[in-house]
Parts: sequence; structure tokens; C-alpha cells
Amino acid sequence: MFDIQYDADGKVVCTGRLDAAQCAKGQAFMDEIAESSTLDFAQLEYISSAGLGILLKTQKRLAESGAALKIINVNNHIYDVFHYSGFHAIFDIKAK
Amino acid sequence: MKRAFARSNDSLTALYEFAEDILEAGDVVDAARFAVHLALEELFVNMVKYNPDTKGDIDVEVTVEDKVTVTLTEYGAAEFDVTVPKNVDTNASLEERTPGGLGVYLIQNLTDSLDYQYSDGRSRVIFTKESGI
Repeated sequence: MFDIQYDADGKVVCTGRLDAAQCAKGQAFMDEIAESSTLDFAQLEYISSAGLGILLKTQKRLAESGAALKIINVNNHIYDVFHYSGFHAIFDIKAK
Repeated sequence: MKRAFARSNDSLTALYEFAEDILEAGDVVDAARFAVHLALEELFVNMVKYNPDTKGDIDVEVTVEDKVTVTLTEYGAAEFDVTVPKNVDTNASLEERTPGGLGVYLIQNLTDSLDYQYSDGRSRVIFTKESGI
């Protein structure tokens, strides 16, 4: 199960497992983001390359207007995946 | 334990639950479980994506002994050797990066061993991961 929604502070809260089957839901939400935003991964347990693709696509689109995604509360397993993928150099990432 | 899964990304939840039950029963540590789930999903999704004309199920076997061993087998598939080194420039700038290509790269980096066998349309991938027990 994967869920994505805004919290009361305007952060984008991701919950559950972002696998290839959940990409359409994640992409549809991210496509609506038009300004710099913070993604809270405190409740995100898992991400695969399909989810990484969504993040990269969104970051590239936002960069065209000088905006960017920031990702906070990343668990150590997802943090390792970001590191392997080189995402730590193209995203502002904060571990849990 | 072995089970056949329908060739669809809709199988991913059942695939996760199948593997997780075995890994949990085998007391596999969290970090290894995460890596096994990730490699398993990437391999399964590749089989679904790159053999769209193949209708048969994908057989998945997961065992935990001194290490976790996962075997995925499909039939009537084109050859796709996932052990061929995948070069991804992880130092590329945002402008240079393009979505895609990370799946095989992650598989090759997160598994301890990775083997591919192909014969008469039978495509089989076997990977292992230390269980951390």
C-alpha cells in the first residue's frame, strides 16, 4: 500500500511502499507540484527504481523554473538506495 | 518455497508478502530483507516489461539457509542477461540524468551474487544475499 498527500504544513507525506505498481498514483500527484516542496518520508518504508524515476522526473521539471524537492526523514535503507543512485548529489536529503 | 505469479505489476504486493513471510520466518535482518525485496521487484518488473508477448506465469523461489537465495524463472522469454555490467553515471548532474536504467544497476550492487541462465526460451535469474543471522 502506498499513499501520498499534503499535511497541514504543506509537506508532501509519503506512506508505505512505493513500488512499480504504485507509480501511476505517485506520478499523478507529483505532476501537480509546481513549486519547491518538502517530501516527508518518515512513513515511507520502501522505494524501488520506479519510484526513483518519479523523483528524478519531478526534480528535473521543477529545476526548469528554479524550484526543487527536499526529502526529509529518510530511513536508512532508502538512504542507502539514494546513495547508490547518486541522488544525494541532486536532491537535498535528510536522514531520519 | 516456490510460487507462480501472474506476469503483471499487479502481482507485486503478493510477491512482497510471499517473500516477506519467508524472510521473517528465517530471521533475516532488516537491511538484507530490504535488499532482497528490491532486487526481487526489479527482476520481476524487468521480466514483465521486456517480454510483453509472453503470457506464462513467473516462478519465484525463495529459500533461507546460511544466506537468502532467490530464483526467478520464466518460459518463452527473450534472452536478457542481467549480469552484464550496467554502467550508470551516478555522478551525473541533474541536467544529464535521465529516468530509467537504475533497476539493473541496483540489482548488481545490492546482491552478493547474481547468476543468469538461458536455454530454449527458459530464462532464469538466481541471486543471493547474506541473511545477517
